This record gives sequence, C-alpha cells and structure tokens, in this order.
Amino acid sequence: MALKDVKPTRSELIGLKRKIKLSERGYNILKMKRDGLILEFFKVLEEAKNSRGSLQERYNRAVEMIAIANTFEGAIGVKAAAMSVKETPEITLKQKNIMGVVVPEIESSRVRKGLRERGYGLLGTSAVIDETATAFEELVEEIIKAAEIETTMKRLLNEIEHTKRRVNALEFKVIPELTEASTFIKMRLDEMEREELFRLKKIKAKSQKAEA
Amino acid sequence: MADVSTRLAPYVYVCTRMRVRKAKLLPREDYLRMLNMSLTEITRFIEETEYKSEIDELGSSFSGIDLVEVALSWNLAKEYQKILEITPGALHLFTQSYLRRWDIQNFLTILRGKHQGVAAGRIKEVLIPAGKLDREFLDRLLTEDSVERITEAMRGKRLYPVLERELPGALETKSFARLENELYKGFYSELLSDVKSGVKGGSVFLAYIRLEIDFMNVRNLFRLRSGAVEGDIRDLMIPDGSFSIDELQRIAVIENAGDFIDEIQKKAGLKSITGLLEDLRNHRPIHEIEIELTRFMLAEMERLSKRYPVSICPILVYLEKKKYEVQNLRALARGKESNLPAERIKSYLVV
Repeated sequence: MALKDVKPTRSELIGLKRKIKLSERGYNILKMKRDGLILEFFKVLEEAKNSRGSLQERYNRAVEMIAIANTFEGAIGVKAAAMSVKETPEITLKQKNIMGVVVPEIESSRVRKGLRERGYGLLGTSAVIDETATAFEELVEEIIKAAEIETTMKRLLNEIEHTKRRVNALEFKVIPELTEASTFIKMRLDEMEREELFRLKKIKAKSQKAEA
Repeated sequence: MADVSTRLAPYVYVCTRMRVRKAKLLPREDYLRMLNMSLTEITRFIEETEYKSEIDELGSSFSGIDLVEVALSWNLAKEYQKILEITPGALHLFTQSYLRRWDIQNFLTILRGKHQGVAAGRIKEVLIPAGKLDREFLDRLLTEDSVERITEAMRGKRLYPVLERELPGALETKSFARLENELYKGFYSELLSDVKSGVKGGSVFLAYIRLEIDFMNVRNLFRLRSGAVEGDIRDLMIPDGSFSIDELQRIAVIENAGDFIDEIQKKAGLKSITGLLEDLRNHRPIHEIEIELTRFMLAEMERLSKRYPVSICPILVYLEKKKYEVQNLRALARGKESNLPAERIKSYLVV
C-alpha cells in the first residue's frame, strides 16, 4: 500500500485499525496452524522413514525371491504360474482432514491372497512360487501404505510452505504497511489539527487586530 | 499296458542307449567351472555342447538369458521326443505315461494364457513340448479361441475325462487350481497303475513313486501350514502314498509345529528323509529342502538303475538327469543374471 494512495481521514484510520487487528489475529492463527502442521509433519516424517525402510526391505526381499524363483523354476515356470492370477488388487481412496489439509486414506483389498485363492494348483508348483508370491504381495501392500504416507507428507509440506508464506507476508509486509499507513494518517491528522489550530489562531489575531 | 512284454531285448537295447546318452551329460566339474564364468561365457560354453543347434536356431529370435532358457527347454523337449521314438512297445507307453506331467503343464499354461487373453506368441514361448502332446498339437490348441474349445480339442486324450469333469467348476470359480490338482492326482494314479501293470522294474519304481507322493504331500502340508490354510485339505493331497488322506487331514490340523513334524516322522515309509524333516523343524526354507530332496531322489533312482540295469529304471534316471542338467544350466545362467553369489547358485544345483 503506497502512502500516496492513503486518504488521511479519520474513517480511513478507523478502517486501518480494524484491518491491523484482523491481520494480527489472522497472523497469530496462521502461525499456530503452521506450528501445528510442522508438528504433524514430523509425526508423518517418522512414519515415512519407517515406511521407506520397510519398503526398501520388502523390495529387496521380492527381488531376491524372484531371482531365486527364476533360478529354481526358470522364467518359463514363473511366467506360467503368473498366468494363473487374473484378479488385480482393488484400491479405495478416501479422504481425511489434518488441520484443514485434505490427505488421502488408501484402503486396499485382495492384495494378500491365501494359497487357495492364488489360482495355481498346489501339486504342479513348488514352495518357491508361494514364497515369491508372498514377497510380492507384501511389497504391493507396503507400496500402497507408503503411497498414503508420502502423499500426506507432500501435501503437508505444500501446506506448511503456503502457510509460511502467508505468515511471512502478514508479518513483514501487510501488518507493517498497515501500521505505517495508520501512523501516517495519525501524523497527517495531527498535522492537519495543528494547521487548523494555527489557522484559527491567525484568524483570531486578525479579527482582534481589526477590532482594535 | 495290459500286454506288457517281458522279453529282455528291447530293455537291453533302450537301456544301453540311455547309458550312452547319460554318459554325454555334463559332469560336475563343468558346472563348477561355469560357476566362475560370466553369462556370455556360459552361453558360449553351452553353445559348444549338445545345445548348439537350438542356440543357433533361436539366436535370431531371442538373446541373452532368454536365448539360453528357451534353447535349453527346446533341447529338453527334442531329447524327450527322441526317447519316445526309440522306446518300443510297453516301454514306450510307460515313458509316455511318465512324461505326461509335461502335457499337464503345457495344457494348463495354454488354458490360463487363453483365459487371461495372453497373445498366442507369448504363450508359445513358455511351452515345453516334452510329453506326448507335441509342438504341432500344442500349436493347434493355441489357435483355439476359447477355453471350452481348447478342452474339446483334448477329446480322446488321457487328460480329457478329468478336464470334462472339472472344467465347469473351474469356469464358475474362475480358477484352474482345482483342475490342476485333479490332473496331477490323475497323473500319479495312472502312473501307479502303469507301474503295477507288469513292466520290468515296475515294482522297485513303485516304491520310488510312493516316496515322491509322500514328499509332495508332506511338502504341501508345510506349504498349507505356512499359508495359514485351514479346513478340509483332503482335495489337495495325492492318494496312494504312505499316508492315507484322512491321516494327512488329521496331521494338517495339529497346531504345534513340533508335534506336526513328529507325527510325520512316525511314518515308516519316510525314514529315509528323516534328516530333511529335521531341517524343516529348524525353520529352513521349504524350497531349500526341496532341492535336498531332489538330490536324494535322484541318488535313489541312480541306485535303483544300477541295481536293476535291465529295467525301466535306467530310462527314467536318464529322463530325470537330463531334466536336471537343463535345470542346472538354467539356474547357472539365471543366477549369474541376477548377480547371485556363486556359492548360492551352487546350492541350487542338482549334481
């Protein structure tokens, strides 16, 4: 707000004071929101760290198992067993609210299957196929869990950044400018009052002189 | 196989040819040398052996590890087909019966692939026509466009009665698992009846098949246990082993792992694999025990073939040894591709 655009009127001063009060209240609320979001973020960060560790572990296990299965059964055996599975996992996407931030809640079904539901027969396959299928089912489960946590973390980070920008804007731009404008109006009004007083004194002096 | 000939001449002829072929298989030293080679060196090494023609033939269509694997499978199929050609009379029928597990595997792969809408070319890549159903017949099955028509094309084959009985249920549940189990149960039941039909060496081979059935049942009990499958498991067990199906069901519901293994070890027929069962108690992965058992079974078969040199045993031992040669070469190539340590690959070799 450039000072030249400010009208030095009493009503403008009242309006500015109201705006300053509102901005300060907004600033405090946003600061609290930012701090709350940071706290939430650290909680999610801890979960994300665990989830990434677990994801890496399960990925390594799945890669190891598929290598063993390919070595043991051959890619032909693995591909033939893989053709038994037709059903793909279903994912239900819900939403939850963390301090005004909408984050996803992912629910998955039919990822982990029992030995009977996998579609291949028990008598024509070996245990390594079971172990590989289990390793990959666990990996998919962990990916879904990690997707939820990582998206939550990303959205929280965006919101923290956004809130931080708003807090900074209020703290360093909006409130100082409003205060400056208010100070300017106050000074201008005082100045105008003094001018008015001086003018009145001058008129009074002139009229007294004329009377004398 | 009712009119089984007991004359010795065909046995001597076929067994001699099998011994010659067995002598040509790769020795243990070659596998140990290959453990220190890279994948390209292994491919070159394989190309210099019996697999040259397949590597050359498939070189334009496949490359790298896929070339090795497909070439090995093609060679196995070709070799088995040749053996079917040179075995006369009852021996031919028995060998055919023994190789029928490949027919089941190929048929199921086609059935599943077609059911899932996989392209015929991709299904063909994973077929190993090592049984009675040759490449032409399997190609014909691949041209059929529905599961029902594929099954109909099997009319007159030994698998057909089971297919006819189980297919409606499989289509209804959208799972071929039960069908697959029934086909393998049928395979073992027919194999047992063929063994008992008077083929020379059949009675000794009968004990071997029973041991295989026992191990498969025990292995599957462990798989079901680790997969937390509860309830009636009778339909998942192969009959005619040392355990009755009801006994297996009773063992399956035992909750304590120690009692579970103790109950299995009580069976006299499984004395020879007691050590392996102890390994299971020590939580060793089942797939590692499976390799140990394969080695044990192969050694057992080798022993039988030496004890009964003019019988079906030398033929079967060659069929098995050839299968494991292919499996070992594939394990070496795949293991190298996956950067598995040499010691680990060695533990997966059946030598």
